[in-house]
Amino acid sequence: MSLESHPLAPSPIASPSTGRGGTRFLARISVRLLLFNILLVFLPAAGFFYLEVYEKELLEAQERAMVQQGRLVAAALAGQGELKAPAAKVLLLRLEGRTGSRLRVVDRQGNLLADSARLVPPRPVAPPREERYEQSASSAESLPHPRENPLYRIGAWLYRLVGRISRPFAPPEPPQDTEKVYSLGAPLLGPEVRSALAGRYGATIRPTAGQRSVTLYSAIPIRSEGQVIGAVLVSQSTYRILLALYDVRLDIFRVVLAAVVAAAVLSLLVSATIARPLRQLRDQAHAVVDRRGRLRGRFRGSRRLDEIGDLARALEELTGRLERHLRFIESFASDVSHELKNPLASIRSATEMLGEVEDPADRRRFLEIAWREVARMEHLLSSVREISRIDARLEAEPAGPVDLRELLPAVLDSFRLHTGDGSRIIFRSPPGPVHTVAAPERLAQVVENLLDNAVGFSPPGGEVTVELAAEPDTAVLRVGDRGPGIPEEHRERIFDRFFTWRPDEPHARNGHTGLGLAIVKAIAEGYGGSVSARNRPEGGACFEVRLPRLPRITD
Amino acid sequence: MADVPGGTGARIALVDDEENLRETVGFALRREGHRVELFADGLEAWRAFERNLPDLVILDILMPRMDGRELCRRLRALSERLPILFLTSRDEEIDRVLGLELGADDYLCKPFSMRELAARVKVLLRRAALSREPDGGEESILETGPLRLDLRRYQATWKGAPLPLTVTELSLLHALVRHPGHVKTRVQLLEEAYPHDAYASDRTIDSHIKRLRKKLVETDPSFDEIETVYGLGYRFRQG
Repeated sequence: MSLESHPLAPSPIASPSTGRGGTRFLARISVRLLLFNILLVFLPAAGFFYLEVYEKELLEAQERAMVQQGRLVAAALAGQGELKAPAAKVLLLRLEGRTGSRLRVVDRQGNLLADSARLVPPRPVAPPREERYEQSASSAESLPHPRENPLYRIGAWLYRLVGRISRPFAPPEPPQDTEKVYSLGAPLLGPEVRSALAGRYGATIRPTAGQRSVTLYSAIPIRSEGQVIGAVLVSQSTYRILLALYDVRLDIFRVVLAAVVAAAVLSLLVSATIARPLRQLRDQAHAVVDRRGRLRGRFRGSRRLDEIGDLARALEELTGRLERHLRFIESFASDVSHELKNPLASIRSATEMLGEVEDPADRRRFLEIAWREVARMEHLLSSVREISRIDARLEAEPAGPVDLRELLPAVLDSFRLHTGDGSRIIFRSPPGPVHTVAAPERLAQVVENLLDNAVGFSPPGGEVTVELAAEPDTAVLRVGDRGPGIPEEHRERIFDRFFTWRPDEPHARNGHTGLGLAIVKAIAEGYGGSVSARNRPEGGACFEVRLPRLPRITD
Repeated sequence: MADVPGGTGARIALVDDEENLRETVGFALRREGHRVELFADGLEAWRAFERNLPDLVILDILMPRMDGRELCRRLRALSERLPILFLTSRDEEIDRVLGLELGADDYLCKPFSMRELAARVKVLLRRAALSREPDGGEESILETGPLRLDLRRYQATWKGAPLPLTVTELSLLHALVRHPGHVKTRVQLLEEAYPHDAYASDRTIDSHIKRLRKKLVETDPSFDEIETVYGLGYRFRQG
């Protein structure tokens, strides 16, 4: 056997040298797990997009509140015929502190009659108050800018990064009104006020200088007897909304950060429990077969209960079976070579003597020895080929239902004819047919080998019984002899290849290969059956072959 | 008892379960002038040996009823000096057999040459005869450093301690020591150790050298005079 070309040798492609360090980083399970977990964690980041909807709703709510307030003021001032500044001021003063908006009342010409921001000077001790009104540049500076929070900056940067793939982080800026913000003294005649003075609801958004926040303006007409006598202008900065959004964003980002950390830890744990045992299995697999294809190491089974444990145990069993099979093949090869060396030794010494002796009688003797041993080698080689063929492809041979009750008498007759042995062969069979699925020649081989064995062990003229029995699922063939029986210590090995044991009969060994019973076993097991041997109570050995029985065939 | 050194007319027992081999080997040994008794298995031979020991025993290992190992063990219990030669078809058995464990004197692997067998038998008989002789007579002794080879008696000592060498191992050692410091190729060694056998292989030499080293190391743990020259063969280092 050439070990160099052994099929188990690792192919050069899968050689350990390239396989071990070269695993691409991204292909590693642990890396993929980490990426997967982190991507999962970034799902909450989708919440940032929800914020847009949230912002819009907040803006609508704010506008509704502003309109409500404006209507309230407009209703209170309505029906007075003419708008009076003092009355308006009193009203606004009364409302002071209850609304978050700046309220202004203008007359029909747009002249300012009352302004809630001017009624009470801003109190520095009460910062929330400033917040309520639209932000001037100076008051905005006194508050910390939301973006100065470092955590927020990181989040915004990451989000822009993600946003580059999907869409920009910031919602689209609202169209900015180019008209100047109302200045003191001038008539308040923005589009919303003009719309209100024309009797309709008017609204405008104006940017706050240097801010991302904007100011919403709503104007509601004040009517008296069907006539528009003025308007209430309600304005409020969206700064509070932005601040609320900022808080929400920051919270989301905190959650994401915590989840990323958790995901990393989780991935490491998972990789420790999955990737590490897999790596161990890989290393063991590399060590199992050495460079010359010989089975060296083996998988150490794992006590893990998961799939990796199952895999490790399956691999352990696989290598165990391979090992047993290889050992079997090796010992078979060594047995064959051993069995061939004995006849070869006889042939070599006989031919050597042929070259040295002159006497014709001696020469004939050595020639006969050589011929006999050559025949023995041929017989041995054909038996070896036979058993290898049975091992390799018994299933591939054409097989069909065979009635043993018909087959056996024919085999027995031919055996009697062939050997001319004086042993009496007695055949017993049940009344009905006994079918099994097999190739008839193989079954004949089983019977012949068993008979050979039985007759070989029988005393001259000894009785050999062949009995066929039908069990519900099994066809049973028993061959019994009147020989010395099988010593208990050999009962296990009697079907082993090349096992021979001949009590007090050393001369009978020639012609016996030690493969006859092994062939019986190989055929029976190849057909899903079994063989066994025991000693009969009345003396002699009994060999039993059990084959799966076909249910009665109807034709 | 045959007292003739290397002599003929010795009583040789051949124990082998191969009938044809028994017949041929028996014929060949008788032609050499020996008296040969043939036995088909160990038990049969043992029963005969219990009554009367032969001058030399040739044994197969695997035999029915009593195998060669058991028979060898029993024979050694009876006599330390009885030359025992094994015939075996299992190379892997050799180590155990030759054993120092079993104390056989030599072995031949099947298939072997009849001339080789006859030569080995001759050497073994001569060695046995000489070991019974009082000292004196013609000496053929080779001494290299602490190694002393007595080629007439087929005995070797290292630093005064006797080495339990087989005939093959002794021939090999002799071939190496004859030209200390010179490399001997495997083919050269093969010719010296198996002069009559064209079938022995290089690998046989390697395993013989391995065994030879082992026996020397067992006698003297510091022994490392047999050197492997890679690609060439072996060399006995000059003391």
